[in-house]
Amino acid sequence: MKEFKHVIADPLGMHARPAGMLVKAAAGYASKITVAAPTGTADAKRLMALMRLAAKQGMELTITVEGADEEKAAAELQAFLAANL
Amino acid sequence: MGLFDKLFGKKEELNPNHIYAPMAGEAVAITEVPDPTFAEGTMGNGIAIKPTDGKVCAPFNGTVDMMFETGHAVSLISESGIELLIHVGLETVGLNGAPFQVKVANGQKVKKGDVLMIADLEAIKAAGLPTITPVLVCNSFDYAGFQGNTGKAVTNADVVIELTK
Repeated sequence: MKEFKHVIADPLGMHARPAGMLVKAAAGYASKITVAAPTGTADAKRLMALMRLAAKQGMELTITVEGADEEKAAAELQAFLAANL
Repeated sequence: MGLFDKLFGKKEELNPNHIYAPMAGEAVAITEVPDPTFAEGTMGNGIAIKPTDGKVCAPFNGTVDMMFETGHAVSLISESGIELLIHVGLETVGLNGAPFQVKVANGQKVKKGDVLMIADLEAIKAAGLPTITPVLVCNSFDYAGFQGNTGKAVTNADVVIELTK
């Protein structure tokens, strides 16, 4: 299992577009990817669950990646979040 | 539905796999949305509405899952499990709620036709943003078939998406 943290930099928080982009990115991996925020926990492959977090700028997310491609997925998702959220 | 059913308030029987238009306007293919995040279908299969009226109504009987604080988008889950996102206009998150009058709260049960929010379409246009409204089935992968009834004027009385299990 791999785990990393990301603090949301986007002033608008996790709104529909970044949530959608994250789902698209996460869907490319076999691993189970979970996003934990102070507001709850979501499967990164499910858009509605991600949006329900209502995660805002400054909130710290903990992303857990578990599966065959966890090394690659964690590294790439960390870079993805740094660039997009 | 007969007159007596109406008189006695019998619940309207809705097809659990049908989604009615949440806004009045022209229903168009999702590919007409000038924003790849929506148009490419990565957030789910859907359609879009070019609204002529700012009233956003429940497209089925279900529950409000998440009304965004800024009111520009709302997600709902139908009684049958359809996960739907209605995103009013594009880039409207940046308007910080000003053009949106929110009428429902998270977790609230709604019936088809209940008003969820009222968008000020003129204010959105005045801000230089498109009012085209993507309507996306976020769990479209749970369904074998998807049919969008687009290319025509619609109201909340018209089915715009027909799903098959």
